Amino acid sequence: MSKYHNFMQKPLSRREMLDICKGGFGSLALLSLLGPLPLSCGQSERSIINPSSNLNLGPHFLPKAKSIIFLYMDGGVSQVDSFDPKPRLTKENGEDPRKKFKVDATQFDNVGKILKSPWEFKQYGECGMPVSELFPHIATCVDDIALIRSMTSQFPEHTNANYFLHTGSGLQGRPSMGSWITYGLGSENKNIPGYVVLDGGLIPPGGLDNFKNGFLPASYQASILRAGPQPIANIKPKESIPNLQEQKLSFIKALDKKQLAEIGEVDAVESAISNYELAYKMQSSIPELTEFKEESKATKKLYGFESDDPHTRGYAAQCLLARRLVERGVRFIELTCPKVSADRWDQHGNLKDGHEKNAHAVDQPIAGLLKDLKSRGLLEETLVVWTGEFGRTPFAQGSNGRDHNPSACSMWMAGAGIKGGTIFGRTDEYGYRVIENEVSVHDLHATMMHLMGINHEHLTFRFGGRDIRLTDVHGHVIKDILA
Amino acid sequence: MIVNRNIKRIWSLSMLCLILLSCNSSNQSYESLPKKVDFNFDIRPILVQNCYLCHGPDPSSRKANLRLDTYEGATAALKEGGYAVVPGKPSKSELIYRITHENDDKIMPPPEMNSKLSEREIKLLQKWIEQGAEWKPHWSFIKPSLDNEINDIDFYINNYLNLKELNKAPVANKNTLIRRVSYLLTGLPPVTEDVEEFISDSSENAYDTMVNKYLNSMGYGERWARHWMDLVRYAETKGHEFDYTITGAWEYRDYLIKAFNNDVPYSQLLKEHLAGDLLKEKRYDTETGKLESQIATAFYAMGEGTHSPVDVRQDEANRIDNMIDVTSKTFQGLTVSCAKCHDHKFDPITAADYYAFYGIMESTRFTPLDANLSIEKENIAKELLEIQDYIKALVTEKVSPQIQVEKNQKDNEVIKPSNDYNLLGDFRASSFGKWKTSGMAFGEKTTLGVPEIDKHSGKLIALKEGVASSRVFDVGVFGSLRSPDFILDSNFIGVRARGNQSTIRIIVDNFQLIQNPIYGDLTKGINSSEWANYIFNVEAWKGHKAYVEILSGEYKQHNFNLAKDAFVEAEYAISFNKEWPSEIRVTNNDQSAKQIKAINKQIKKGHLKPSFYELITTIDSSKKLSSKLKGKTFIYGVSDGFAKNSPIFNRGRHQDLSEDSIPRRFLSALPLGDVPFKSKGSGRLELAHAMLNKENPLTSRVMVNRIWHHLFGRGIVETVDNFGLQGKLPSHPELLDHLAIKFQKEGWSIKKMIKYIVTSETFKRSTLVNKEALKKDPNNIYLASFPVRRLESEAIRDGILVASESLNATVYGPPVPNYLTKFMQGRGRPEKSGPLNGNGRRSIYQSVRRNFLEPMMTVFDRPIPFTTFGKRDVTNVPSQSLILMNDPFVIEQAEIMAQKLLKEESLSFGQKIEWIYMRAFSRKPTEDEIANASKFVKQLEDMKKGNNNNADFDLEIWKEYCHSIFNLKEFLYLI
Repeated sequence: MSKYHNFMQKPLSRREMLDICKGGFGSLALLSLLGPLPLSCGQSERSIINPSSNLNLGPHFLPKAKSIIFLYMDGGVSQVDSFDPKPRLTKENGEDPRKKFKVDATQFDNVGKILKSPWEFKQYGECGMPVSELFPHIATCVDDIALIRSMTSQFPEHTNANYFLHTGSGLQGRPSMGSWITYGLGSENKNIPGYVVLDGGLIPPGGLDNFKNGFLPASYQASILRAGPQPIANIKPKESIPNLQEQKLSFIKALDKKQLAEIGEVDAVESAISNYELAYKMQSSIPELTEFKEESKATKKLYGFESDDPHTRGYAAQCLLARRLVERGVRFIELTCPKVSADRWDQHGNLKDGHEKNAHAVDQPIAGLLKDLKSRGLLEETLVVWTGEFGRTPFAQGSNGRDHNPSACSMWMAGAGIKGGTIFGRTDEYGYRVIENEVSVHDLHATMMHLMGINHEHLTFRFGGRDIRLTDVHGHVIKDILA
Repeated sequence: MIVNRNIKRIWSLSMLCLILLSCNSSNQSYESLPKKVDFNFDIRPILVQNCYLCHGPDPSSRKANLRLDTYEGATAALKEGGYAVVPGKPSKSELIYRITHENDDKIMPPPEMNSKLSEREIKLLQKWIEQGAEWKPHWSFIKPSLDNEINDIDFYINNYLNLKELNKAPVANKNTLIRRVSYLLTGLPPVTEDVEEFISDSSENAYDTMVNKYLNSMGYGERWARHWMDLVRYAETKGHEFDYTITGAWEYRDYLIKAFNNDVPYSQLLKEHLAGDLLKEKRYDTETGKLESQIATAFYAMGEGTHSPVDVRQDEANRIDNMIDVTSKTFQGLTVSCAKCHDHKFDPITAADYYAFYGIMESTRFTPLDANLSIEKENIAKELLEIQDYIKALVTEKVSPQIQVEKNQKDNEVIKPSNDYNLLGDFRASSFGKWKTSGMAFGEKTTLGVPEIDKHSGKLIALKEGVASSRVFDVGVFGSLRSPDFILDSNFIGVRARGNQSTIRIIVDNFQLIQNPIYGDLTKGINSSEWANYIFNVEAWKGHKAYVEILSGEYKQHNFNLAKDAFVEAEYAISFNKEWPSEIRVTNNDQSAKQIKAINKQIKKGHLKPSFYELITTIDSSKKLSSKLKGKTFIYGVSDGFAKNSPIFNRGRHQDLSEDSIPRRFLSALPLGDVPFKSKGSGRLELAHAMLNKENPLTSRVMVNRIWHHLFGRGIVETVDNFGLQGKLPSHPELLDHLAIKFQKEGWSIKKMIKYIVTSETFKRSTLVNKEALKKDPNNIYLASFPVRRLESEAIRDGILVASESLNATVYGPPVPNYLTKFMQGRGRPEKSGPLNGNGRRSIYQSVRRNFLEPMMTVFDRPIPFTTFGKRDVTNVPSQSLILMNDPFVIEQAEIMAQKLLKEESLSFGQKIEWIYMRAFSRKPTEDEIANASKFVKQLEDMKKGNNNNADFDLEIWKEYCHSIFNLKEFLYLI
């Protein structure tokens, strides 16, 4: 239970804490190990000092997961080509879909013939879950995976669907799920932001607003991390000589403290002073993250660092970084797609080529991540979520592509609290629409929050006269996939 | 000063108790009960927090058929017998019985609500019932009133301080004062010379003079415009997938700056926002004559824009919802949007109120507007039309009597309605029918009968036949012609037209971002001077409402553009199902059209040779005048459509409509709320009038509260955008009313109000907090001292530019592109990055692209522009420190500051520090501080000496010093 200690502990008052850190520069970082910083008295004012728990008494119940890794398959993976085999498509390949079922308006309105999957499916694992040739590595992890074949979206268009998936609303401006979770739980590590997006090269349509804090305080927005020596903005000191920055910061701190003594106790100023300690620490803790020096060759190989495909290698680094963030207590990590092509998984044409390249980039790294987490005992406290914003049509767009389909999408979860080897939900014989156990985006959010120990109906924020939730007025926890 | 002790003591007392309670709710012992319990301040908050979710105004969630938001509801007989409230008799009131019950299945609120009434709350409810259970409307719905109007701000503030036994902080020193006034009024620190001048001015009105200076400086408008931009979700792009540009959004920003600087009365500002396009008395720039009042309507169109929505009706509903949300929060401090799916759970705002608003917005049309319309242009247009009429009359008079129109057999035929097509608009006769124009290009009627005269000989070439033409004056003039709304019931719409670089669009459900893949067919470029039939396939939208829009100019990536020689002309518009009909009969078959045909025939045959040599010069000078009407820059605003009342969308779903439509009107709980609008257009002007009605309790209060909020960092009502039941109660209700009444009396002058507030003693107090005050009033609600506050993002950046003397004083104009870091990725990313220093321009002139917001601005809490934010967050996160420590902009400015310092060659060390302190802190350093600085600079020198291979040794040292200064809290906070 020790890893949840910070929920149980009586928080220090700001004053007590600042008393402790009267020592030299850097001593505050020690405190981060003690737990979240207490909020200032006037919470209604939202003068948020630092991201920390807003559930008052800790999580609503015992959490299964400590962190979430959200593997976002931008553009929409085709369900009938990945995790939802439909023999009928093979049988009726080339026939007119409008004669078989009612076809909804599609985005490109270029409805072609029924299109069989170009890939074979095989059964894997003890559970015998069928997976297509696209994902040979992920296929070896199916016993840890709960597959949902009945996800739906409300929007057949990328940007709305992205906002919906990320914020529970199709419109720009709502807080992202990662923001909600860090707002609810705070961060476990004060030297690293609690909500991190690993930018693999493609920021999804809708832009950075997919990861923003909406009406929540700005402290809850995602930090965008990129691979390389400067993973986040302004993380590298610009001083030309070592220790010069420290010297300046000591000078600043001394003058600030003097100022503070003159005006009396002003919480906001005190916190601003202490923020410099944190920022200073982050300068070393963040770049350290992206250096993989202490990672073994075997580990790197597992993720796909030795692949011939540069996109695989790139995504492998992201996945490994995700694990390192989990180890450091980051709450919510989202991985965006590598820039395999400008249209991500969005194959309106050339389905075979596009999906194969995308799958090749992510398959081994994801399997590597799952295996690595498992071998380190981290998978049982980490929830891994794999999904796109919607599925694709079982009939062709033009001759060899597939259009957007919000009526059915396959996604999966693995890890903390998840019943591995499960298949939940069913689509019709064409994989076009869900016919059993429909799972909405709100249900997904409710379930993710549930595993993090949050009752999605109780985590609210008063805005514009309403107590607003991530799940709006919807959402049910998907009990059948829970261990 | 005469102190009137006869204030509403009861009100104040109960207020105090409430605040105390909220700060100290866990305390066992509670504040004693007020003598007279006040419904608004003591009781309603308890009911809102604990009861209204199930016993409030929304019938759909009401339990046991009991409502506690009205007297009638609370005193009605209960289903199970008895009464919830029996006035005067707490022991007989079921409410008291239930809230004090011991059993879980009886107690209220029920245990699962997780809210338990405190002992004090229970006692309050008991006492209130005992005293007769008086009900009052929500405080903010009662018109502001005062017993005594002679008191001033300090009277009201000091009254509470006395009651609370709080000691006032002394008046701040002059350095602090000028820094405070300068930052709060202009968003900029005072320059050294101004500080020195103020310090040395020992006259009695020194402070007044200083305030006036800032109030009348350019910076004032720039500062207060930015406050306003937070309310209207100001952005220059539409966000969504490709972040398309909003045409001329920055013109609206400039409009605001000018309006604040000219102290345009708030009542006028409000009218211009809501109905600037409809005002009879337009407002022009006093210097340039530019038409200002219409520009404000751009705020409607500042929302997010979605291209290719599959459900276009839903898209319209979303857009309108956002417009209602912003309009109601900004001007009335009410969250009307909460009533989209059901009656408001707390406020007296019904779903019908929401859909009354919806109709107003639905009857409004988005349109480009010529940003440089002016009184001159309007006069020219008027004059030219008069000349044209004159010439036409002259010519007609001369040629008509010579022509006898043959009575044609056909004329008497009754025209049979055709099954093949429907005529949507016919411009072959003289009028546009029911179609509406906006802009001036189309003039007032069709071209029918306009004489064409040879410009050399003066010979009449012909009389023009009737078409709607955007070159009534000249090509390149902006205008649009729009049909009334109709329901699409055919496969095709056709328009016979010709033109150049112009556009015809079918607007379905007010949807504007027309493009492929879904909507591409709804827009056609008109690029041929030959008449042609333009056909729009609208089959997919049968059953939707639509209108036809004929527009000179074109949208490029949704950014409106008008070429110099652009024009469009149309003969008629039809809808049809199969093929273009072989003949389109003239319905409006008036005599003049025939006569003109006959005249033209005669001219052609040579039977008629009239000459108008005397008109040549007139025609010539008209041509020259006409060219002045060309449009160059545009904004995206609104014009009026046709009145449409909306049904209620049950549960907010457009697929599920109520049978009856709700007349467009104001909110039913407010004065004039029951008067349906009469306008044949949207009714936006009536909406503005309702808000400005003398009896309206909110408009003035909401705005003075915003002003107070910006000056003190906290509103008298802290929830500045929510004056509803869930908003906070005012900390000083009488003061708020005092300000609200004064504001209206003094002609809604924002400058006067600001001046009044900043010249109060309350405003001039120092920030010194004494321990005792901190204990009694930890959040400084009673303002015993001036609150310490962090500067806003813009003020921090602009303050750095002023300190380094790099501020570029250029005002107005297109935004400076943002500096793009590699972390700013995604679709719609501008091709080129802007300059790191933003050309040294103030932050208000940096671009606001929704998908690429400036990181320094967002990190320091500039709100994300999606709805109204009257109150910014003040967060405190490490990324702020990282920017100040490591951002290249900050470091570059530190270096520039050091360079400028070193140019002052004759300065001693102490003078150098003083030079910096004056720029950074508006004060001189103490001797201690100079000594301290000297020590630090020595340290820097020692460190740098180690690797001194640098010619600019001094520069390096002072750069590090200035950079450190930018990081000091005294620089970042108003202390």
